[in-house]
Amino acid sequence: MITRKNMFMLIGMALLLSSVMVLNNLVSGDWSALSGGRETLIEFWNEDLWPPDWTLLEARSYPVCESSIGFFCSKAYIGMVETMKMAFVATVFGFLGSILLSPLAARNLVPAFISFPVRVFMAATRSLPSLIWAVIFIAIVGLGPLAGVLAMTFYTIGYLGKLQYEEMEGMRSEPLEASRAMGLSRSEIALLVVIPETSNGLLSQLLFMFEYNVRHGTVLGLVGAGGIGYYLSYYIGLFMYQQVMTFIIVIFVVVVLLDLFSMFVRSFVNEENDVKRPTWSSIFLPPSSSTELHRKEKK
Amino acid sequence: MKLEKLSIGYEEPLISNINLTIYPGQIISIIGASGIGKTTLLRTIAGLVSPLDGSVKLNIKPRGGLGYIPQKLGLVHHASVRHNVGLGARAGTSFLEEPWTWGHRRGERTDLAIEQMGLTEKTNEPVRILSGGQQKRVATARTLAQQPQLLLADEFLSELDEDNIQIVVESVVDFIKENGSAMILVEHNTERAIQLSNRTFRLIEGELVEQFSQGGEEE
Repeated sequence: MITRKNMFMLIGMALLLSSVMVLNNLVSGDWSALSGGRETLIEFWNEDLWPPDWTLLEARSYPVCESSIGFFCSKAYIGMVETMKMAFVATVFGFLGSILLSPLAARNLVPAFISFPVRVFMAATRSLPSLIWAVIFIAIVGLGPLAGVLAMTFYTIGYLGKLQYEEMEGMRSEPLEASRAMGLSRSEIALLVVIPETSNGLLSQLLFMFEYNVRHGTVLGLVGAGGIGYYLSYYIGLFMYQQVMTFIIVIFVVVVLLDLFSMFVRSFVNEENDVKRPTWSSIFLPPSSSTELHRKEKK
Repeated sequence: MKLEKLSIGYEEPLISNINLTIYPGQIISIIGASGIGKTTLLRTIAGLVSPLDGSVKLNIKPRGGLGYIPQKLGLVHHASVRHNVGLGARAGTSFLEEPWTWGHRRGERTDLAIEQMGLTEKTNEPVRILSGGQQKRVATARTLAQQPQLLLADEFLSELDEDNIQIVVESVVDFIKENGSAMILVEHNTERAIQLSNRTFRLIEGELVEQFSQGGEEE
């Protein structure tokens, strides 16, 4: 007899096997592309990528830098800040749009005749990648950051909205039942019960979306939507990979910093036992060590 | 409240032919083994599950007339005690009555209920960090702030220590008497159920059978 554990193992193996078969089909059985790949990568790394061109972190020669710290006038800083500004604005506008729509798409909050069309709208905004949205908005508002912001906002509504309504659908049913029995309206339930109850997930998704938009903001620059992607596109076009490597490192550092920021912000809604509002020093600690540290601090 | 020939369940009936009338000021307890439909009966009366047959007639306000404390309390864990209790006050007060004093009226009810349950020091604490007993007091405070005409409580006294039981029971019973509300209590402790209520029913083989009336005499 097949036990539950064995059944999961069989399903897992079947999925893995079918994935390998599909991949084999995609490459038409020709795996020769993999041979020699390692040598090519090492050569590319040694000859083109490394060392990065750190002069991009210094002040540009023109226009004249007015700051005493040259880094603030560098291409890397200016490009990254512009990308982050675009991502920030798009995430805020996208979040506003999605948080209004997602309670209307959650099947445990509204009837199907409301949730279905809202889901279709969200799927439509999500079906086009932000890159395609950028191309559309460049045609409408021209080259520059505004097209990038609009593109990312539209994509955020669809993408973040899906994460949000799935989070809402997964919440415990008791708070909903208690508030329905009390006679609270749908809007009161959404605003005062569902959003606070799912706040941890919503916050996490919001921060993830900001990080996602920062990373995607770099791609949008490739089609002329501004930000650090503009410089990336420029240097890739000139095959100047050491400069490209510098920008990649800058993006990587920013993404890691955003992840740390996300952990810190989420810690405000992630209290465990008597651990409240962990400090920066306890952010990397596992819950048990964090609890111990908190008790010591209390004493 | 009047239950007429009510049959409840999901696909198959769990309890059939329930006939019951509850008058203002009454407390009714329902006892019985686990998994035989006590919670489903409360959920059906609350309008959360459709009856398989028969009817539930409630002569109460559509908004705020019915209070429900589920077994798992139904609190918003990431919100503060005040927020949770305030939900009851919101449901129990009408914006249209005196729009300009609505916020004030809600605030007063909320603070009073929090004080009654001895939670004043925890007012701004998130519910998730409170103990089980404190959370039950929050759920009770929410109901007191709502001031419902009919209260449905699902084993809300279980796992409480004696001190907490006394605080909760006194407040709820006083509220029922003073306001002429009614209460249906699902309880696993037979002795406590008899002490608290005017009438006690036991669920036996899919039927609701009255076992005790006021005074604790077995019928």
